[in-house]
Amino acid sequence: MSWELIRDILITTVPLLVIFPSLFAFTTWIERKALARIQNRIGPNKTGVPCTRISLFGLGQPAADGIKMLFKEDIVPKGADRLFHLLAPIVALIPAMLVLCFLPLEFPWAKFVQAPVQAFLLDGAVIFFFAITGLNTLAVFMAGWASRNKYSLLGGMRAIAQMVSYEIPLVLSAVIVVMLVGSLNAADIAAAQKGYQWHLFTPWGLAAFVIFFIAALAETNRSPFDLPEAESELIAGYFTEYSGFKFALFFLGEYIAMFAISGLAVTLFLGAGEGPGVAAVPALSVAWFIAKIFALIGIMIWLRGTLPRLRVDQLMAFAWKFLLPLSILNILIAGFAWHVAKSGAGTGLKAVVWIASLITLYAVARGLNRISRPEAAPREYKYAE
Amino acid sequence: MTLEGLLILSAVLFCVGLLGAFTRRNAVVVLFSIEIMLNAANLNFIAFWRYGENPELLHGPLFALFAIAVAAAEIAVGLALVIAVYRHFKTVDLEKLNTLKEE
Amino acid sequence: MTQETAFYLLAIIAVLAAVTAVRLRNLIHGVFALVIFFAALAGLFLLLMAQFIAAVQVLVYIGAVGILLLFAIMLTERVTGDDGRRITSRGGFWGATAALGVAVFVLLPGIQQTDLNRLPAELAEANATAADANATMAPPHTVEALGKRLIEPYIITLEVVALLLTAALIGAVAVSQGARRVEDEEEASP
Repeated sequence: MSWELIRDILITTVPLLVIFPSLFAFTTWIERKALARIQNRIGPNKTGVPCTRISLFGLGQPAADGIKMLFKEDIVPKGADRLFHLLAPIVALIPAMLVLCFLPLEFPWAKFVQAPVQAFLLDGAVIFFFAITGLNTLAVFMAGWASRNKYSLLGGMRAIAQMVSYEIPLVLSAVIVVMLVGSLNAADIAAAQKGYQWHLFTPWGLAAFVIFFIAALAETNRSPFDLPEAESELIAGYFTEYSGFKFALFFLGEYIAMFAISGLAVTLFLGAGEGPGVAAVPALSVAWFIAKIFALIGIMIWLRGTLPRLRVDQLMAFAWKFLLPLSILNILIAGFAWHVAKSGAGTGLKAVVWIASLITLYAVARGLNRISRPEAAPREYKYAE
Repeated sequence: MTLEGLLILSAVLFCVGLLGAFTRRNAVVVLFSIEIMLNAANLNFIAFWRYGENPELLHGPLFALFAIAVAAAEIAVGLALVIAVYRHFKTVDLEKLNTLKEE
Repeated sequence: MTQETAFYLLAIIAVLAAVTAVRLRNLIHGVFALVIFFAALAGLFLLLMAQFIAAVQVLVYIGAVGILLLFAIMLTERVTGDDGRRITSRGGFWGATAALGVAVFVLLPGIQQTDLNRLPAELAEANATAADANATMAPPHTVEALGKRLIEPYIITLEVVALLLTAALIGAVAVSQGARRVEDEEEASP
C-alpha cells in the first residue's frame, strides 16, 4: 500500500461520506416541511441559530434532532439478543453507504486520482450495486429478530417478503438499460446517454423507469409500501425496540439507501450528470446529479403525503402479477426495438415501433391492472372466534 | 497465495461441510453444510482457472457460474422438501424421520 | 504482500465462520455465520480477479440463499432459533472421524502428490504478478468476455440451466403446496 493509493482512496471516498449524510439532514427538514404543507400545517419553524431569535424557517431542526438522538438513553429489551441488536443498525448503514461509490459522480477533483479506485468504473458496477443493496434485507431481519418482540418480528418478516418480491422487477427494469447500452459499467451507461438521449425519452425506457421507481419505493420501505413499519398495525415495525443512537443509524441508513437507489435511477434513466451548462463547467455535473436525486426524493415525499398504505395481499399481487409480467414484456419490446434500430430502419419504421410499443405497454398495463387486483372479499376469521 | 494454499483451504472448507452434514441432526443445518461444500468446490474452479492454462477461455468462472445456478436450484428444492417434511412429521430432526426403519 | 495478508485473513475468516455455522446451537446465528463465510469467499474470488463471480456470489448466496434459509428456519423451528435438544446426531463421533479422515487421508495427500508444477510456471507467474501490485492495469478478463463466452460455445448449457431453474421453481412450489392441500383435506374430512 503506497501513500498515493491511500491518498486516492481518501479523495474518492471522503466526499461521499461527507456530502450524503449532510444531505440527509437537509432532506429530513424538507420532508417535514413538505408533509406539513400537504397536511395544511406549518412544520418545524422555531429552531434556528441557538441563543438568538433567528429561526431560518426551522433549518436548525435536523441539528436539534441529532443532538436529541445522541443524548437519549440506549434501551435494549431484556430478552433481546444483545449482539445482534447492536449489529443490526450497523449492518443497515454499511451497505447503503457502500453502494454510493457505484454512482458515476464525477467530482472535479477526480482528475487528480491516479490509481483505479473509483468503483463505478468497475466492469460490473450495476451488478455490484444490486448485490450489495440486497444486504439491507438481512439487517432488517436481524433487527426484527433480535428485538424479541412480536411486532418487530412481524415487521421484519414483512420487510423480507416485500424486499425479495420487489427486487425482481427492480433488476429486470435495470436489465433493459444494460441491454441497450451493452455494458454494466456505470460510467459507460452515463456516457451512452450523452446529448439528451436519456432512456427516459423512449417508451420502453419510460415504462422501465416507472417500474424501477415503484420497486425502489418498496425496496426502501417508503410509503405507500411502508408495511414493515406501519405505525397503525405494528407500532414501528422492525425498529420498535430501538432508541437513541441506534435508531438514528437506522434512520440515516434508510435515507442513504433512498439517495443511492435514486442515484441509480438517475444513472440508468435520467442521463446521470447531464444538464445545461455541464459542457462549459464540468463541475456542474455533480450538482445536476444531486439535483436530479432531489427531484426523485421530492416525488417520494409527495407520494408519502398523498397515498394510503397498501394491504399485504395487494402488495404481493402488485409485485408478482403486475410489475413482473410488465417488466418481462418490456424487455421483449426493448429488444425488438433495439433490433429495428440496429438494422438501419428509417424514421417512419422507428416511429411505428415507438407508437406500437407505447400502445402495447399501455394496453397490457391496463389489462394486468384489471386481472391482478385482489378482490376485497369479506374477511374470514379462521382462528379468532 | 499459491495454488497449493488455495487447494488446501478449499479441502479444509469441504471437510468442515462434510463434518456438518455427518454430525448434525437438523435438516436445515445439513443444507448449510452442503452449501459450504459446493462453495469450496467453486473456490477450486476459480483457483485452477487463475493459475492454470488458457485463462482467457474463462472455463473456471463459467463452471463456477453454472455451479452457483445449480446450487440455487438445489437449495430452493431442498428447503421446499424440508418444509413439506415439517408439515407432515412436525419435526425436521433427521433421527426422528425413520418411518422406513423396522422398530 | 498486501495480497498475501488479505488471503490469509480471508482464509481464516472463512474457516472459522464455516465451523461456527455448522456447530452453533442457535440456527439464526448459524445462518449469519454462513453469510460471513459466503462474504469471505466472495472476497477470495475478488482476490483471484473473478469479480463477476464475486458479485454473483454476494447476489445469490447472501441475497437469496441466506434469506431462504432464514425463512425455512422461521417456518420450521421455534422463533428464537434455539435448538434446545441434543444437536449432534447418533454416531456423530464416527461422522466427525470420517470427515477428518477424508481430509487427512484423501484430500491433503491428493494435493501433495499431484504434480502442480506441470502447469506452465511462467504463465502462473505472469498471472500472479498481474494481480499483485500492478493496480494500474485493468483486469484482463472482463465481464464482457464472460458474457460472450456464455453465448458463443455454452448457449446450450445456459438454456439447460434456465430450464433447470424453472423446473426447480415449479418443483419447489409444487412440493410445498402439495403438502398443504393434503393437510387441508385431513382437517376437513373428520
